[in-house]
Amino acid sequence: MIQRQTPESIGRVVATELKPATPHQFHFWTANETTIGIGAIVKVEGPGAGDQGSGRVVFGVVTDGFAYSDLATPLHDVVGAEGDPAKAAERPTVRQEIRLWTAAVLRQEPEEPLQPVPLGAVYLASDADVAQALRMDAYLTGAQPTGIPVGLYTAAGHEAPVYLDADFLLGPEAAHLNISGVSGLATKTSAVEFLLASIFQHFPAHKGRIAALCFNVKGPDLCFLDRPGALDDADRRRYERLGITPQPFERVRYYAPCKADGVNLNTLRTHPDLVGDVEPLVWGLEEVLDFAEVLLNRDDIDAKADAFIDFLSDRVLNKEFDDGFGGSHRVQTFADLDGLFRAIFDGLELTGRSDMWRTHHIATIRKVRNRLSNISTRCKGLVTDDGPSNDLPWGRFEDRTVYVVDVANVDALGQDLVFARAVSKLREHLERRDLGVEAVVVFVDELNKYAPGDGPETYVRKMLLDISERGRYLGLVLFAAEQFRSQVHRRVVGNAGTTLFGRMDADELATPGYQVLSPATKIKLATLPIGELMVRHPHFTQPIFLRFPRPAVLRGRDGVERFPPATDLPFEDAVVRQLVRLDRRIRPNQVKDLIAERRPDDVRRALAAVRRTRPEDALAYFRRILGARVAPVTAPAREAVPPLNPISEEPY
Amino acid sequence: MKLAHLADLHLGFRQYDRQTSRGGNQREADVAEAFRRAVDDLLVQRPELVLLAGDVFHSVRPTNPAILFLFQQLHRLRVGLPESPVVLIAGNHDTPRSAETGTILKLYEALGVEVVTDQARRISFPQLDCAVLAVPHQALVQAERPALRPERGAAHNILVLHGVLEDIMDPEWSVSDYGSARLTRADLAAAQWDYVALGGYHVRHDVAPNACYPGSLEYVNPRAWVQLREEAKQKVPGKGYLLVDVPGARTTFRPVPSVRRHIDLPPVHGAGLTAKELDAEIARRVAGSKPPIDDQVVRLIVYDVAAGTARDLDHPTIRQYKARALNFHLDLRRPEQRRVVGVGAPGQRHTLPDTLREFLTRRPLDADLNRDAFVRLGVEYLDRVGGAAGEQG
Ligand SMILES: Nc1ncnc2c1ncn2[C@@H]1O[C@H](COP(=O)(O)OP(=O)(O)O)[C@@H](O)[C@H]1O
Ligand SMILES: [Mg+2]
Repeated sequence: MIQRQTPESIGRVVATELKPATPHQFHFWTANETTIGIGAIVKVEGPGAGDQGSGRVVFGVVTDGFAYSDLATPLHDVVGAEGDPAKAAERPTVRQEIRLWTAAVLRQEPEEPLQPVPLGAVYLASDADVAQALRMDAYLTGAQPTGIPVGLYTAAGHEAPVYLDADFLLGPEAAHLNISGVSGLATKTSAVEFLLASIFQHFPAHKGRIAALCFNVKGPDLCFLDRPGALDDADRRRYERLGITPQPFERVRYYAPCKADGVNLNTLRTHPDLVGDVEPLVWGLEEVLDFAEVLLNRDDIDAKADAFIDFLSDRVLNKEFDDGFGGSHRVQTFADLDGLFRAIFDGLELTGRSDMWRTHHIATIRKVRNRLSNISTRCKGLVTDDGPSNDLPWGRFEDRTVYVVDVANVDALGQDLVFARAVSKLREHLERRDLGVEAVVVFVDELNKYAPGDGPETYVRKMLLDISERGRYLGLVLFAAEQFRSQVHRRVVGNAGTTLFGRMDADELATPGYQVLSPATKIKLATLPIGELMVRHPHFTQPIFLRFPRPAVLRGRDGVERFPPATDLPFEDAVVRQLVRLDRRIRPNQVKDLIAERRPDDVRRALAAVRRTRPEDALAYFRRILGARVAPVTAPAREAVPPLNPISEEPY
Repeated sequence: MKLAHLADLHLGFRQYDRQTSRGGNQREADVAEAFRRAVDDLLVQRPELVLLAGDVFHSVRPTNPAILFLFQQLHRLRVGLPESPVVLIAGNHDTPRSAETGTILKLYEALGVEVVTDQARRISFPQLDCAVLAVPHQALVQAERPALRPERGAAHNILVLHGVLEDIMDPEWSVSDYGSARLTRADLAAAQWDYVALGGYHVRHDVAPNACYPGSLEYVNPRAWVQLREEAKQKVPGKGYLLVDVPGARTTFRPVPSVRRHIDLPPVHGAGLTAKELDAEIARRVAGSKPPIDDQVVRLIVYDVAAGTARDLDHPTIRQYKARALNFHLDLRRPEQRRVVGVGAPGQRHTLPDTLREFLTRRPLDADLNRDAFVRLGVEYLDRVGGAAGEQG
């Protein structure tokens, strides 16, 4: 496949006492007119290298460039032009100029003994050279290759596919991916979408099944992953070069909380043609209480409140519970819990007892109650007071499926809760190996909000830290994006095995985290065109610049134009719509008659049951769950019963 | 409005072979007497509405005395409280398996009692500004259940039904409550009702402040001991019915004293004791019984009794205890045998429960059945028929 053309050298390594070649860096000059630039990969062949194949071969990536002439000082030039810049151009003699480049070593052949770069000829890297330079040969060949195409290395009119190693991107050797760069130019969301498609097509069979759980935190970003987007010929060519079929995701499951009415969905994917496959995400007390710590740790750490919450989950929830004032409670819903709280407060007041209830101070109880009722009001639609809950399909995750959880319009507290619960559940099931897939990529945008570098310790941040430190053994992989990497907790970004950078902000590049980059590389990052990224990956000893095609899915922005979100429907119509999508035969009026004068909660519960069961005859099942209405009948007037004659024999 | 809520009368329930002076079954007469006492109290309390929440009779074809007796008592109620409607629903015990069997309960319509045996009925009583949704057992086990929800039109809404709430079911109750319909809290929606009058669970129990089981009026399960333990655990004072003020659902438990006591004597541990020593221990327990065992239902468990020791006990004296008590159940338990099943344990015959347990443990089973529960149930059934000779008569 790869043809070795007669290589034409483009430059030569030079070394002086002041600028010597070292084992990790070298300098070379080229013609003034050259196609290479910062980020180009070059090959140096020492004496005896090449086709005879005995000498040293070194691969490097260009990190800096200089141009100068034999001018002793700038003043000499001024004097020569008599102080007139116009005359400088007319000078009869042209000074000798040099293009000098600095390159960082990517790889040396042989690796041992490690020696300074030989002063040899410099060539542009071919496909095979790129594979070798980036040590990709180790995982692209062999019995069980693990390459995941990530983009095209592009230099001097030449393109070569670059692959990541699945063992280092998705575990177990290393894992996680972090991408940063300025909004709208860095193509962070796009890059993750593209990479997920690549992973789904190239995840090696021997590693099993894989799914992705993506939190949609901004507008319509991830709402149309199953719809094709526009690609141009250049993109299509790139897909072909990378061996990826450009197509939208085949299996996407959308989850969105309801709005406060409990039937309309809180997402931008509400166009009638699409809303059919959006599942409501609705949690009740049990689901919330498991992660109630989330609600507390945001502004304060309180061991007493924690203890009280534990008490509620261990001793009260779903159990027969005696409040100590003669009342018995079985708490299953927020409404029940509030009943218990009221009984406690009333009981303490009536009995005039102390401020303590079962070792818990009344202030702690009030605080927990406030936080809990806070979440049920602030996140109405996600959290239900006493309606049915509907969760992600824990234990039934499917291979190559994207689960999108839309929390874009959910209150920050609710987002934390969704996050904490979803990720903890993933972890729990992966630990027990009963999730349904062996690995899950969790995509979190705006990571700086959830795992900030400063600010108080939060449950969500602790959880993200925990995944980034231990997830790789479990198959729990974090793909995270943020504008400013410097604002994210150090250990969370530090644990990402693979890092991508899009167009960067100059101030950000001035922060200490980027000191290792050469000034030229920084400039390139600050001016990086859309669609190009810099990648760091464990196998690559230096950052590499790549180009990737547009994702083959409909952009969020275009999606809302093509599929404008529907206005909220009245309750009845929303119910009709949800039922009709489960069973096309259903007539709206049948449903409306059935639900007339029913309580919304009962209707929601029946709807949830239909959704869960997916019965053959959805309407019949819906009717059955709702139950038949029983019309009142006035008791017939009964005549007074006259005293009867005694029965002659007492029965007992 | 003040209403009375009774359930699980189980009239016609028979147990043990002791007879009344008139030749009837003594326990059947006890059960009837409990209801008579309840009616006595009702006539004093004068509720404005009386609810009988299922299992009025112990069986679909009750004994003739039971039929007559209920007639008498309902008649007393109707004459004594002519303005108070009586609503009676059928439970799992008194619902016929097939429609053509018919139901004796309809007889009591002649006394002006509202009898609901098949489909749910919402009966409104304008003079009380109250509607009662009466849901018999049959209505809950058919494919399409009624919606257990109030409707507009009445100030007070009452639900009366016979069924067991899933979450209060104790594994130990699996046998006794086998026939009852299962309910969830969402089915009931107690918060929407002024009061939910439940039947089908024999120990008084509040499901919610306004949704209660009054419990049965007598110990009408073959395994009264389990009920007693449950009562002790829940601090329930015993048997009775409920008076309820609506709205607000303030409940008052009206105890109905039983004719006789169930006495579970402190168990004896027989390990290492000779037959003589055991006799002495048993005698000591009997002597210490408060009240004395005469005419009471008594059980004494003796653990770790080898077959030989059991044979050598003082059987004449034991027969005397049996004569004194209404029923004296000396429950001798063999030492727990810990042996490897299968590899031809020489000389040791499996007991029948062992054999059954072993068989059920191996028997192919549908995947969705819980094998532990299945085995437990099987052994429990066997235990019941085995023990029934003494217990049920
Ligand atoms: N590979 C690509 N080539 C060209 N344009 C792209 C590419 N990827 C994304 N874009 C465009 O760049 C813009 C920003 O992308 P987006 O992924 O939303 O960035 P971010 O998430 O960093 O804000 C979008 O308009 C998108 O269409
Ligand atoms: Mg984005």
